[in-house]
Amino acid sequence: MLRYLLNRLVGLVAVMFIVATIVFVIIRVTPGDPAAVMLGPQASQQDIAALRAQLGLDQPLAVQYVSWLGKLAQGDLGQSIFMNKPVLSALADRAEPTLLLTLMSLLIASAIALPVGILSAVKRGTTLDQSVLSFSMFTSSVPSFWLGLLLMQLFSVKLGWLPVAGYGGPDASLATRLSHLILPAVVLGLVNSALITRFIRASMLDVLRDDYVRTARAKGLSESRVILKHAVRNALIPILTVLGLTTALLISGAVVTETVFGLPGVGSLVVSAVLRRDYPVIQGALLIIAAIYVLINLFIDLLYLLVDPRVRY
Amino acid sequence: MNFRTSRRGGGLNSLLLAGAIGLTALSTPALCAAPIKGGTISVATIGEPPTLDPMASTADLVGILTQHFFETLYTFDAKWNLTPLLADKLPDVSADGLAYTIPLRRDIAFHDGSKMDSSDVLASLKRWTETATRGKMAAKIIAGIEAPDAHTIRITLKEPYAPLTALLAMNNSAAVIMPKAKIAPALTEFVGTGPYQLKARVPDQYIQLVRFDGYKQREGEPDGYGGARKQYLDEIRFVPVSNANTRVESAVAGQFDYVDSLPVESLPKLKNGRSDPVMLKPFGWPRLVLNTKQGIMSNLAVRQAVQLALNEEDMLYAAFGDKDFYKLNGDLYPEGYPWATSLGGKVYNKADAAAAKKLVDGANVQDRKIRILTSQQYEFHYKMALVAAEYLKAAGFTVDMQVVDWATLTQRRQDPAVWDIFITHSPFLPEPALIDFPSKDAPGWWDTPRRNQVLDAFNQARSQEERVKRWADVQQAVYDEVPFIKVGDFNAQAARSPSLQGTQAVPWPYFWNAWKSAK
Amino acid sequence: MTTGNTVDSGADRWQVLRLLAARKTVLISLIVITVLVAAALLAPWISPYDPFKLSIMNRLKAPGAAHWFGTDDFGRDVFSRVIHGGRLSLMVGFSVVIVSSVLGIALGLVAGFFRSADKFVSRLIDAMMAFPDILLAISLVAALGPSLINVVIALGIVYTPRLARIVRASTLVIRELPFVEAARALGVPTWRIVTVHVLRNLVSPILVQGTFIFAYAILAEAGLSFLGVGVSPDIPTWGTMINAGQQYMGSADWIMIFPGIAIVLSVLSLQLVGDGLRDVLDPRLRKEL
Repeated sequence: MLRYLLNRLVGLVAVMFIVATIVFVIIRVTPGDPAAVMLGPQASQQDIAALRAQLGLDQPLAVQYVSWLGKLAQGDLGQSIFMNKPVLSALADRAEPTLLLTLMSLLIASAIALPVGILSAVKRGTTLDQSVLSFSMFTSSVPSFWLGLLLMQLFSVKLGWLPVAGYGGPDASLATRLSHLILPAVVLGLVNSALITRFIRASMLDVLRDDYVRTARAKGLSESRVILKHAVRNALIPILTVLGLTTALLISGAVVTETVFGLPGVGSLVVSAVLRRDYPVIQGALLIIAAIYVLINLFIDLLYLLVDPRVRY
Repeated sequence: MNFRTSRRGGGLNSLLLAGAIGLTALSTPALCAAPIKGGTISVATIGEPPTLDPMASTADLVGILTQHFFETLYTFDAKWNLTPLLADKLPDVSADGLAYTIPLRRDIAFHDGSKMDSSDVLASLKRWTETATRGKMAAKIIAGIEAPDAHTIRITLKEPYAPLTALLAMNNSAAVIMPKAKIAPALTEFVGTGPYQLKARVPDQYIQLVRFDGYKQREGEPDGYGGARKQYLDEIRFVPVSNANTRVESAVAGQFDYVDSLPVESLPKLKNGRSDPVMLKPFGWPRLVLNTKQGIMSNLAVRQAVQLALNEEDMLYAAFGDKDFYKLNGDLYPEGYPWATSLGGKVYNKADAAAAKKLVDGANVQDRKIRILTSQQYEFHYKMALVAAEYLKAAGFTVDMQVVDWATLTQRRQDPAVWDIFITHSPFLPEPALIDFPSKDAPGWWDTPRRNQVLDAFNQARSQEERVKRWADVQQAVYDEVPFIKVGDFNAQAARSPSLQGTQAVPWPYFWNAWKSAK
Repeated sequence: MTTGNTVDSGADRWQVLRLLAARKTVLISLIVITVLVAAALLAPWISPYDPFKLSIMNRLKAPGAAHWFGTDDFGRDVFSRVIHGGRLSLMVGFSVVIVSSVLGIALGLVAGFFRSADKFVSRLIDAMMAFPDILLAISLVAALGPSLINVVIALGIVYTPRLARIVRASTLVIRELPFVEAARALGVPTWRIVTVHVLRNLVSPILVQGTFIFAYAILAEAGLSFLGVGVSPDIPTWGTMINAGQQYMGSADWIMIFPGIAIVLSVLSLQLVGDGLRDVLDPRLRKEL
């Protein structure tokens, strides 16, 4: 078990190293001079050259790479050009809406998927099952921004039930903030529910089949306790996988949805950063998000270890 | 029946400014209530400002925001005449027009508590001449700036320059006064003398301004940007909403107290929504700026061909959607302004592809590709560019459209190697010298002997009559040398909550005289 | 892994199609895709109007006899633009499948075949999959510059890891099979054997994955164009059309609605066909889904 953990950790470091390299390469390939962007259109050539030297942009690429890695190791993600503050703190400021949105979307997606998945498993093979599967396929074919715009038009503009955009002012209550998240969460949850639906259905089918076998040999309490433990464990495994996958999809979806609904989250920050050529922020966001994904996967694998007795390393 | 009231801070000034800017807000005195002190408003703006330093940017947005916490020596009143703000009186100009003596007000406090004196003004003006676009323009004719005593500033010029005071009054690329202790190449603190002070800025979320209690109002009544500044509101929040559609929907839903920069076409939607539309008619003029320094546009015949090929009517209609929202006018000022001319007939709105082609053929141009640089952030720019591209194609050009965000555009337009045409716009400015003509240092790089001669003659003219005459020469030079092509006049659209009073329809909305009624 | 049915005999191919067609949803989807692809290919001939022609005086007309989907804010016929947009969007989707297949197969083969390279390549694949698709795509397009080709390259890179994984797994299995040893003994170079056999075995899963990647690519391109970080807005893809139509929501909805419906139809049909293919082509891949 310990060896497995160590192995995974080494793997993780290797992956993160490659992630960092990929990010560095992408950013350096991007056209445009960060120093010129920082100083603005009125700057003179000398000022720009001076800033380049200060930022270390005049060093050879390999040197820049090494020094950047060094800074990363110390947790220094650099300074945002546009906002004039450390990238890490800029990301941290914007984390709340994205986190809340992801959680709410996950809840909504699960809330849709659970009854639908169980229903179609129980009624397996019938037209109901077919139509449920087709419907869930349908929801995953809708572009999230398109759906978002349509729902916004209906609920926020025509009916006025929900706010149009934004996240509330500096002193908004949690309730206000959540009300701003309802529509985006519904959009994301709906569009991403298909995957969870299928997994729940598959998982339920497995469990139901096993149940029949077990019930045939059932002999009282201990047996039912075994069923419960066994059933729950079996059900949990694929659900853990799908939660991990869905979280990745939700973060992806958040980028577009936050832009449509004007939410000041990490997703819309990345889009603005790309439009404003704020390279440190793009870099930092990519790194942090990839790191979170890798960590979530590691966490899920560890949970597997605990939950699934068949897994042996 | 609903009457929308629009009180201007307790005054009875009419807002028709000497044939200049008109208003379409109705006024029914019977329903006006007295101004209420207190409250917070949220104002939706076109996006996140690139900076809060008015000397570092010519963006209108920066001017709109910073005019609340920074002030200049002079400003414009309701009739767009110059009026003193931080200065005590209008400047005392010497007989030869070379020396301006400016008396300063006493007892003006900065937001950090320090008192303003001439050393602060001196340091600020010096920074302005070194950093700000308009300041650098003025620096060319400024011989020196001194502070003979603690409450006077004297500016000496190399040659007479009538627009100087107007330059000092402009809120864009502004000569704002800040404490000399806070001056740095890149400002870290934004301390000014304005009626509101900066409390917090969270990029992409809000900019929070609160009332400055140490503010010394001018005596009298509010008068445009001048006069008394009443500070009714406790707090003003500017919220960037860069998606135009979202701004419109927010206005319809009544989510903000004021929404700036709405597409004019949204007027029907706004009329049915929870905010009242505010239209400024006319507001300004869009233009295509041509790169005279490098590339295909450095050839005069090509520029003249472009001028002939364009169909400004289609461009305006596509951009603004309704004939009520724009006016076809090739001259730089609309009628009603003292600077209006009517010289453009021969070269404006011709849509003559054949004549254009002939000109280009005659100029022996091989590569007929034109790169148009534009942005969707101002959706009417993009629409005009698209239509222009079609007409240019009809005249035998090929067009490469480069659509970028506004920040990138302002950066790219500095490089003469990468664009041939870019689109921009400005409001109608009270003083023609404030127009940012392309120059040796400004994109477009129009720097011919004729240009310099007509502009110098205009700037040196002393009497209004003479200035008007010289302005016609400038206008004609623009038509003949085609450094840029004006597309037309257009209106600006904003929206206001019914409970927000005291705002005006002006190019750069301000809120120090606004209040929220009890409703 | 995928050592199930290979689809290299003519009889099998028809059997597959017959099995596919037996399921109603898949049949309908196949028909829809055929119609869409045909429309896209024949776009220049079947468009009632020139999709680029401005007709300013005709702008914002509601759908009617003259313009089935109405006109947009420049007076351009929306129906013609949707067909033309389909041409571009479908082309992008298809090209992305090609790019990611080529790169994925290459990477997967190298990883499966060369044990030394595998350590690095599989970590590379893991690293690439650690980025959310849209974020990686946005960054790549920002790096390369906004153009149709760069969007294809960027999305192709984004979807490469999925295919690379499948190819790698298959390669790892096949190289251990006894007939490989036998062929090697006969003097056939190992790489030739592995490549030919791997590819033969992978036709099915690549076809299945490819169909899904096609669907994802259409959605992704639309998203990128909508955000303004994809194709230049004057190029009519379904994504740029929705972006342009935002402003007229509530007053000229048709500009935004029809491209959206087109996207839903294409993506849904592709996903249903992909599902059907998966069930039919490999019974071992087919769980109780």
